[in-house]
Amino acid sequence: MRVDDSRAVAITGMGAISTFGEGAPALWTALRAGTSGIRPLRHAYADQLRLKIAAQVPESFDPAAHFSGRMLAMLDRTAQFALFAANEAVAQSGLDLARENGVGVVVGTGVGGETTHDEQNRRLYAEQAKRLHPLTIVRIMANAPASLISMAHGLHGPSFVVSSACASTNHAIAQAVMMIRAGIADVMLSGGADACLSFGVLRAWEAMRVLASDDCRPFSRGRRGLVLAEGAGMFVLESLAHARARGADIMGLVAGVGMSADAADIVAPDAAGAASAMRLALVDAGLEPADIDYINAHGTGTPTNDVTETRAIHEVFAEHGRKVAVSSTKSMHGHALGASGALELVAILSAMKEGLVPPTIHLDDPDPACDLNHVANTARAMQVDAALSNAFAFGGLNAVLALRAA
Amino acid sequence: MSGHSIEEIRAEVAAIVARQAKLDVAAVQDDSTLSDLGLASLDAIEVIFDIEEAFDISFPEQGIDFTTGTVRNLVDAVLPVLDGGGDGQQ
Repeated sequence: MRVDDSRAVAITGMGAISTFGEGAPALWTALRAGTSGIRPLRHAYADQLRLKIAAQVPESFDPAAHFSGRMLAMLDRTAQFALFAANEAVAQSGLDLARENGVGVVVGTGVGGETTHDEQNRRLYAEQAKRLHPLTIVRIMANAPASLISMAHGLHGPSFVVSSACASTNHAIAQAVMMIRAGIADVMLSGGADACLSFGVLRAWEAMRVLASDDCRPFSRGRRGLVLAEGAGMFVLESLAHARARGADIMGLVAGVGMSADAADIVAPDAAGAASAMRLALVDAGLEPADIDYINAHGTGTPTNDVTETRAIHEVFAEHGRKVAVSSTKSMHGHALGASGALELVAILSAMKEGLVPPTIHLDDPDPACDLNHVANTARAMQVDAALSNAFAFGGLNAVLALRAA
Repeated sequence: MSGHSIEEIRAEVAAIVARQAKLDVAAVQDDSTLSDLGLASLDAIEVIFDIEEAFDISFPEQGIDFTTGTVRNLVDAVLPVLDGGGDGQQ
């Protein structure tokens, strides 16, 4: 592999919260073991929903154990997750953010403060409440996760939220990478968060008829669809020069980003759009298709996505398309929507560090239309020098990250 | 009429302010301002919300400076709203 570090950005910290509980290590430990995090749905309205399974952050997560009462009053569940993950990532990076200038934060979220929105609407419409809680706006606003992370860590640089449904994290990280490359910031926090499993949103997903009722089985024959999840992942990104100058432990490099829009159907994925994003990421990273060892697929487990993504991989990778290792970790952590790319980046960075690719579980009978080199059911020991993270959103918005080992 | 005596209103307002400021109610004096008690703008709107909930009233949108006003001003602000119908509608 040619090594051109001039455009690479270092990742020096990661944090996550997921169905596997608190922390990136808990997520990785489960993924490397091929463990499913999909459980019976816990919900106040569970008896009224057809949906019976989800990958929710466990009840053991106690926000009051992590945030002061004053802070907690401002936090929707989405912001709780984002802030938890950011705190973990910053701690791991070893950075003293008070000594850094112009650090910013870009968070991807598909939905925003949905738990608060739903609860206050219920008060308004069902209970005929005459007034809503005065912090309703600051909890609902989609930018809240970025704002609260900036407040908690004293970050005065460029900070905002980007939203592109299931590609939100990858679009957010792309923004952070471009700002570091442009010299606008030396250090950025970025990642994604979503917690939108309200009664209203779950009903809306039911109406789309893309949810699996049994399990999430990407690339498998007879797969039924996706399984909704919630969570967050946040990362500390630094210019390579900044990271090296302070002797940071570099976990991996974002070597390239590729973004495209299908400009076709609002929900049906388009192989050309997906292929374009992968190609652009490779070009941006200065990598050839044959350099890629592992693709963490978008792999939602819907009948359409997995076939279309397979076609796109073959289109971009040609003969290497049958060799490159592919898995969808959504089979384990579920589809955390705007946070998915973040949970998957934890998987990729950990895979590169340990030389172990996490599997697609429930893949005993692959769909012949998904003819890829699947890492099926159990993790595969192999060196990963370069990887792609695919994210192809509803609305046809695609964002792919190219990662390299440090 | 509201059915609340001024003493009851004063006690309820002081209790709400004390709870928000995480202070003993004895520390809340009639001439304390919310900012004296460490309550900034966001806390003040929560105090107003709690007072509205407690008495089932709605304060007018404008005209009362709750952050720099004293506890006595808050009590005085409740009275006319209660007397003015107290059904919570503006």
